[in-house]
Amino acid sequence: MAPLELIIELVLMPLVAFIVGLMMVLMMRRIAAKLQRRVGPPFFQPLYDIVKLHGKRTQVSHGMIHDIGIVMAMGGYIAAETLLPVPGMNGIAEKGGIITLLYLMMIPSLGLALGVGQCANPNGSIGIARALTAMLAYDIPLVIVVFGVAYAAGTTNLVEIIATQQAGGFETWGAVQMPLLAIAGLIAMHASLGKQPFEIYIAPAEIATGPMVEMGGKYLGGLFVMQSFQLYTTSVLYVSLFLGGGTTWFDFLLKSFLVLAIPVSIAYLFPRYRTEDLLRLMWKWPVMLGLIGIAFVM
Amino acid sequence: MSSIKQIPVIEEKRTNPLARVFDELVRFCRSRSLFLLHYCTGCGAIELPPAMTSRFDMERLGIQPMVSPRQADILLITGYVSIKTLKRVILTYEQMGSPKYVIGICSCTVNGGMYWQSYATAKKLDEYMPVDLYIAGCMPRPEAVIEGLQQLMQRIKTGEAKGWEDYYRNYDYYLGNQQKLFGNDWQTPTDVITEAKHYDLLGEGTLGEHTALLEQHQQPLEALEMRLGHQVKEPAE
Ligand code: SF4
Repeated sequence: MAPLELIIELVLMPLVAFIVGLMMVLMMRRIAAKLQRRVGPPFFQPLYDIVKLHGKRTQVSHGMIHDIGIVMAMGGYIAAETLLPVPGMNGIAEKGGIITLLYLMMIPSLGLALGVGQCANPNGSIGIARALTAMLAYDIPLVIVVFGVAYAAGTTNLVEIIATQQAGGFETWGAVQMPLLAIAGLIAMHASLGKQPFEIYIAPAEIATGPMVEMGGKYLGGLFVMQSFQLYTTSVLYVSLFLGGGTTWFDFLLKSFLVLAIPVSIAYLFPRYRTEDLLRLMWKWPVMLGLIGIAFVM
Repeated sequence: MSSIKQIPVIEEKRTNPLARVFDELVRFCRSRSLFLLHYCTGCGAIELPPAMTSRFDMERLGIQPMVSPRQADILLITGYVSIKTLKRVILTYEQMGSPKYVIGICSCTVNGGMYWQSYATAKKLDEYMPVDLYIAGCMPRPEAVIEGLQQLMQRIKTGEAKGWEDYYRNYDYYLGNQQKLFGNDWQTPTDVITEAKHYDLLGEGTLGEHTALLEQHQQPLEALEMRLGHQVKEPAE
């Protein structure tokens, strides 16, 4: 591939991810509104929020690490986008593989932990302790699921995994071949989004949005950007692993929005679990389903 | 309210021709995305849940509740403020990121309302902090609240809602009223005068006799002691 083409792809992929991510945020808020019989926010609301937050006059920084933490939180996902193939663009997905991708998806939580640590707000520290515990909880089923898919496909190359599924048609989709892993993956994905009932680290009524408590202005704006990347990354990863990626942009976007709609619609019907309940639930059901799924694959 | 009208509008000097367009965009986004602070003082707060939830749905205007002052744009004072509450309100107000707006809901914030004779409430809110908008009524219905918020949005869009600048320009006046209520040694953790310098909003009313009094009594802020677990007291011998 020509280097120029590669550079264009590397710029374009996060950009597309950001725009799609914003629409996903909008969808999430609209679904919440519909479930609560409200009208919901206007179309450009996620963009308004981000522009406003970056345009605030007061920008309270708590120090260098605080700044770096936010950059890490966004940067981890921006790097992850270049490893996620979309129709027509592969970026560096062929060279990276899923394992690198999983590592990159952990960086935002760690960056957030660093940044929040410097804010020295007890609510923030509790939030981050919970966020890292939650990460421990959902990463184990996630790794099992990804391992299962990679084992069945015989490769950790995401481009190849997608190509095999697309070549064989619907019957070779991950979700049809490995339904147990697909279910476990869906639960793990829901937990990784940090939405109710797994919303333990945001918990506005209890710890005042945890990690976000001291964030204002562009720092909060950065986290809003991060959220849109997060929604995009998780749903696209799921679509690539289990639903055969996308041959065209239309079916790619359709699949990713539909996949995301499942956890989001569930989320607004439930209250929140406690941390230990989350751990127990995550280490029991998705892990069990995942392990049985792997046994079938082997 | 009348004092707010008198603030001279100072245009920021920008050399970049695109800056105007950009400012316009930011102002528009500011008006379309407002985060309310969840801090409800009096009985008027009871009308906010219906304004936010399914019946009247504030989110369609881009208004949503937020939980910490750092994240919020609007401080809603929903009813009477007792003197004890007012202290917290001022602490919260000073920690919010500017541009910030204050809305006084209920008659009690306008002139004391039916608590006029009470010894424990602050009567006029705009003596203690600049109020951008009042919504009178005992208590105003959600329609009135939303109507008021829409007016505020309009004023933000045109750049009129500049109450927060008034706090810096006339800090001495507000501090004086606060001192009258809370005593001469009243001090907040926020250094308003330095902030005023930072935003280039040092006006004639920023410094005065009351800020001089503040300087006399001011104690340097100390970081809270960090420790793990409980401290066990040694029993006295
Ligand atoms: S105006 Fe009426 S409803 Fe509002 S705080 Fe005063 S007494 Fe309560």
